[in-house]
Amino acid sequence: MSHSIMIMCEQSEGRILAVTDELIACATQIADHYDSRLTAVLPGLITEPCSISGADLLVINSPGLAQYTCEGWEKAALLATEQIKPKIIIIAHTSTGYDYAPRLAALLEGCCLTSVSGIEITGDSISYRRSGFHGKLDLLYGVGKAPLVITVLPGAFPAPDWQAEPGITRIIDADIKPKLTSHVQFSIPDQSNTELDHAEVIVAAGKGIGQAENLLMIRDMASCFKRSAIAGSRVACDNGWIEYNAQVGLTGKKVSPLLYVACGISGSAQHISGMKDSKTVVSINRDPEAAIFRYSDICIVEDLEKFIPAFLQEAKKHQS
Amino acid sequence: MRILTCIKQVPDPESRPMINQEKTWAEYGEYTSYWINRYDEHAVEEALRIREMIPGTTVDIVSIGPERIKSAIRRCLEMGADRGFHLFIDSEDYLSPSIKSRLIAEFCHDMKYDLILTGVMSEDMMSGQTGPMLAARLGIPSATSVMKLSVNGLEGSIQVERELDSGHRCSMDLTLPALVGVQSGINRPRYPSLSNVMRAKNTEIIQIRLENSLLKVVSCETVEKIQEAGSDRAGIRLEGTTAEKAAVLWRMLREKSLL
Ligand SMILES: Cc1cc2nc3c(=O)[nH]c(=O)nc-3n(C[C@H](O)[C@H](O)[C@H](O)COP(=O)(O)OP(=O)(O)OC[C@H]3O[C@@H](n4cnc5c(N)ncnc54)[C@H](O)[C@@H]3O)c2cc1C
Ligand SMILES: Nc1ncnc2c1ncn2[C@@H]1O[C@H](COP(=O)(O)O)[C@@H](O)[C@H]1O
Repeated sequence: MSHSIMIMCEQSEGRILAVTDELIACATQIADHYDSRLTAVLPGLITEPCSISGADLLVINSPGLAQYTCEGWEKAALLATEQIKPKIIIIAHTSTGYDYAPRLAALLEGCCLTSVSGIEITGDSISYRRSGFHGKLDLLYGVGKAPLVITVLPGAFPAPDWQAEPGITRIIDADIKPKLTSHVQFSIPDQSNTELDHAEVIVAAGKGIGQAENLLMIRDMASCFKRSAIAGSRVACDNGWIEYNAQVGLTGKKVSPLLYVACGISGSAQHISGMKDSKTVVSINRDPEAAIFRYSDICIVEDLEKFIPAFLQEAKKHQS
Repeated sequence: MRILTCIKQVPDPESRPMINQEKTWAEYGEYTSYWINRYDEHAVEEALRIREMIPGTTVDIVSIGPERIKSAIRRCLEMGADRGFHLFIDSEDYLSPSIKSRLIAEFCHDMKYDLILTGVMSEDMMSGQTGPMLAARLGIPSATSVMKLSVNGLEGSIQVERELDSGHRCSMDLTLPALVGVQSGINRPRYPSLSNVMRAKNTEIIQIRLENSLLKVVSCETVEKIQEAGSDRAGIRLEGTTAEKAAVLWRMLREKSLL
């Protein structure tokens, strides 16, 4: 049975971003089994000709879409669904995607799953994988009423290295204006932190350090290594223990040091996305089931208040 | 101004979810601690701050769940909220955001809220869906990941600042009524004052019973199977005493020329 899959392009200033290829990769996995038609939708103020490999492209062009607004993207997506009549709508799980995707599902009276990390196909049915229970368990979801809107975690569906043929491009000139949203303004706060950018070893503190006083321990551990820096999870920054310019993760910095030591960090998807490219990861956590251990090379189930002093003791032994 | 804050009670992240026999859901043991979803605590704080700025503002709390969630609603009253509504459901089963947003939308119907606050997501399930779905069902604008919020008193609008990926920001005005998904870092939640704790003791939580059957009818996304999460790296677990582990770690890092 053939059906349509709609992919919402991720764009910046009218240009399609690379993460869109990952969405096509996800759609292709489904399409291989269901003989589906893939149509990518590009909302924006589009001035240059464009196309996308592996799918047809439907451009929703409007001056009111010059920049992202939840309202604008929702209207553009609704307009596109009237044309495409999709069974499945695939959106990137980014600060744009998760802002409007659930709304779209509700307005279409459909289902919604966010942060999807995988797909399992058995016979005639598809299940969608996402993580739950503080990242400790994987959940496979089945869905009822179409359409289904999913947001896909960036990095979960690697784009193929080969380029498929681009499909046909069609443009709809629309007049979409956000009515309830105004004075939209983007800014980039200065979060530079050269020490962290150049560090070969990063010792990161999470909520598990418990109190500001324990930062001393984290600093001492960092100073065991050459070219080291300290960093933190979002909670460590929210608690005022670590500066925001040393936050690692989705909304913080992406780092890839030779060694990343996670101290009292649970391993939420948002933190992992900032440090998963580190060469070696060591984690110290007292919870044996903490999600961080799934992304670690060396796992230490210990209370950090006991373990870190023991490590510092060991370091001292070798110094003298 | 009438404000509604939606809260969820979540289990201690260090507690262990146990997969049921059918492998369709997981349960927590009897002695598990529960508390308010961290993001929702920020949402409650933000509501109280607005009330301090704008005289005549009321702050209501709503939460869907079994008996145990009363303590989370009570805590919000202790922080200073005016009224607590408990949409009671006698079940620990999965409640999808589609269902939750429908139930809260129904609850909101005659309440005429100007502003609805939610957390950006729940810490345990991490969907981030309930808020935007609720807004869409009510036909009002919404913004997620909000780090700053101010009410433009006379204009019937709010100004919000969203946090985008990589820490970029975007500010905008939204016409009221509107829904805002609050991100951590927006404020520091207060501890309940003694006088508020006393007041909360005498404030009744208003319970509204929901029929379990109602939940089945509108069900949409369902969990088919649940399993231990897979690993990205083949990590090794160090064994032995604390000192032994410290010595092994030192040696391993030395071998990798990191020390
Ligand atoms: C849109 C969005 C963007 C986000 N961006 C980021 C981001 O960029 N970076 C980021 O980090 N987070 C981000 N977050 C937040 C993220 O979801 C998590 O809430 C956060 O990473 C958790 O921080 P944590 O691991 O320090 O705290 P928790 O999750 O509370 O974990 C604390 C851990 O410490 C352990 N522990 C406690 N005491 C001890 C002890 N004595 N010894 C050893 N271990 C102990 C516990 O077992 C637990 O695993 C974002 C969230 C959202 C919604
Ligand atoms: N059971 C619930 N009752 C009331 N509000 C909820 C409930 N579950 C989630 N919410 C609200 O929706 C937000 C996002 O939750 P979620 O969609 O589950 O990630 C939370 O931060 C709460 O504000």
